[in-house]
Amino acid sequence: MGTRILTVEDDERIRTSVRLALEDEGWTVEEAASGDDALNAFTREAADVVLIDIMLPGIDGFDVCRAIRRVSDVPIVMVTARADTHDVVAGLEAGADDYLTKPFAPKELSARIRALLRRARSADPGAPQMVFGDLEIIPEEGVVRLAGTDVHLTKTEFRLLVELATNPGRVLSREVLLERVWGYGYFGDGRLVDVHIRRLRTKIEPDPANPRYVVTIRGLGYKLQS
Amino acid sequence: MIRRLWSRLGLRARITGLYALGGLLLSLTIALSTLTLARQNLVEDREERAFSVAVRNAQRVENGLGAETEIEDVGVLLDNLTITEGSFPLLQVGDATRALDQAFDADAVPSSLRELVEAGNAGRMRVRVNGRPLIVTGIPIPDTAAAYYEAAATDDVEDVLNTLGIIVLGVGAAAILLSAALGSWASRRALTPLGEVRLAAESLAAGELDTRLDPPADADLASLTASFNGMARSLEDRIERDARFASEVSHELRSPLMTLNASVEVLNNNRDSMTERNQTALDLLTDDVTRFTALVEDLLEISRYDVGTASLRAEPIDLVEFVRQSVDHSPYDVVIDVGALQYLVVAGDKRRLAHVVANLVDNAAKYGAGETRVVVGREGDFAIIAVEDEGPGVPEAERGVIFDRFSRGSAGGRRGHGTGSGLGLALVAEHVGLHGGEIWVDERLDGREGARFTVRIPIGDIPDDEEWA
Repeated sequence: MGTRILTVEDDERIRTSVRLALEDEGWTVEEAASGDDALNAFTREAADVVLIDIMLPGIDGFDVCRAIRRVSDVPIVMVTARADTHDVVAGLEAGADDYLTKPFAPKELSARIRALLRRARSADPGAPQMVFGDLEIIPEEGVVRLAGTDVHLTKTEFRLLVELATNPGRVLSREVLLERVWGYGYFGDGRLVDVHIRRLRTKIEPDPANPRYVVTIRGLGYKLQS
Repeated sequence: MIRRLWSRLGLRARITGLYALGGLLLSLTIALSTLTLARQNLVEDREERAFSVAVRNAQRVENGLGAETEIEDVGVLLDNLTITEGSFPLLQVGDATRALDQAFDADAVPSSLRELVEAGNAGRMRVRVNGRPLIVTGIPIPDTAAAYYEAAATDDVEDVLNTLGIIVLGVGAAAILLSAALGSWASRRALTPLGEVRLAAESLAAGELDTRLDPPADADLASLTASFNGMARSLEDRIERDARFASEVSHELRSPLMTLNASVEVLNNNRDSMTERNQTALDLLTDDVTRFTALVEDLLEISRYDVGTASLRAEPIDLVEFVRQSVDHSPYDVVIDVGALQYLVVAGDKRRLAHVVANLVDNAAKYGAGETRVVVGREGDFAIIAVEDEGPGVPEAERGVIFDRFSRGSAGGRRGHGTGSGLGLALVAEHVGLHGGEIWVDERLDGREGARFTVRIPIGDIPDDEEWA
């Protein structure tokens, strides 16, 4: 079964041209012209990646993002008008994993999708699980438990956590995390890391305002401590 | 000449001058009339008194004189007269005279008065003897062919008049100064609103388009303020409309560009199956779509500055690492010179600074020829990023306008066009300005031929982690 991509975009011409370009990558593309269409399509058959334009008539991209996030941890790429607005942070907080600004080259989109589809890797495949206090991570199964209870993470959150967990006690800079989790280089947007760390903390920290596991090292980055 | 000089003076100086002139005329008039009146009153009064005293004394002398009285005998007569301080009697009998004081002798009697008296008339005259002011009264005593003269000194009157003159002069001078000060104050007061208008106009010119004048307390100025504010409002509306238009146009262009980019890519995926002619056409299309995309992105970016929605997203950036990474991502060979710096952390907008460095490097590599060097350094609270090349440099005349939008340098070829959008350096300058910094171009510091673009940005307050997220 090939990779299925759902693109949510109200402009038919963009939708069609992006579909053609993505199909050239060997992926199956399903189109949705509105938020309602997108939710119906996603309910009918889940996709492997969802591409959402924030500016949609009716239900906007943020709402579509949140609605999908409630039922799925599928990677979501959103398309925003500008990089320097609050839209980016709002979209990431709504559950998006990555973003692109219009007009983007389809090659860039393909690269983003490929990065998101990469499986979480473990530095030591021999270690079936990693334990940090009450936090238990089983990379092979994609499972995280907090005090014995399963915690539901998105794929990106999970990969971020595994990346930190495979370097226990070591500080990882934003740039390193951007590269290893998202496939960006030095010039990636650090907000991706920060918002994902925030989201991760709300799920695994007893008190997200005073993190116990994922701590910030000022001026350097983040680390996971037990 | 004077008129030209006058018109060259400022309004304030002229108003002050006019007030001072008015004060001068007024005090001059008052001084002259005061002095004239005082002189008349004092002097005439003194003359009247001197005359009546002299007449009385002449009467006594006449009574005491006999037909045979010789000049030697009149001493007693003179001694018995009522002589006040500063009065000097002189008796003439026949051709001989007798004075009581040397201060007034026969030589001191003016000849015109003597003639008058000899003709049998009484008379008086003001004279000055040895610098002393005198009123000389002459009364004939015809029965004995004698004449009685009496001189009265009026230096006390002169003193009073002199003192009065000094006082009037002082008061007059004070009045002139006072009116000049009044004029200065009044003109400053009158011109204060003009000063505010000037400041407001300067602020408008500097781009503060929401500058308005406060409504004045003075009704006379209300119309000026109203029309100024009206002008400012329409200017602001107009400029904002233009900026919004550019922004909306570029915004609207993004959707078709998106389609173009994706479609061109699909075509390129199948390039191999095309004929050579089609491939050439596709290459042309691809190049121009790429350029067009860059232009629209630059336009969008720069229109954010015009609409005023550009905001700095500062995060801590180590410029040493940043420049290294920028150069690694650059398609050109670039030499980095950071001197002894290990790191240099600034509060910067990564995306925008990346654009700045990439654009300057691109510019140097395309139009500068030779080796491109990026220098990082620190000057006090400022960080320096300089990009040098070994090209012909930028002529001095173009150094100011090279950062203008769509500026076209002559000697520098198409330098200034950056990625070819014509907005490259203009946008770079806007980004640097947003950081509170400056950018300029001049010669290389080492004296070799080539241009040096210098960016100078404040190191700034390094934001805490996550504060900028």
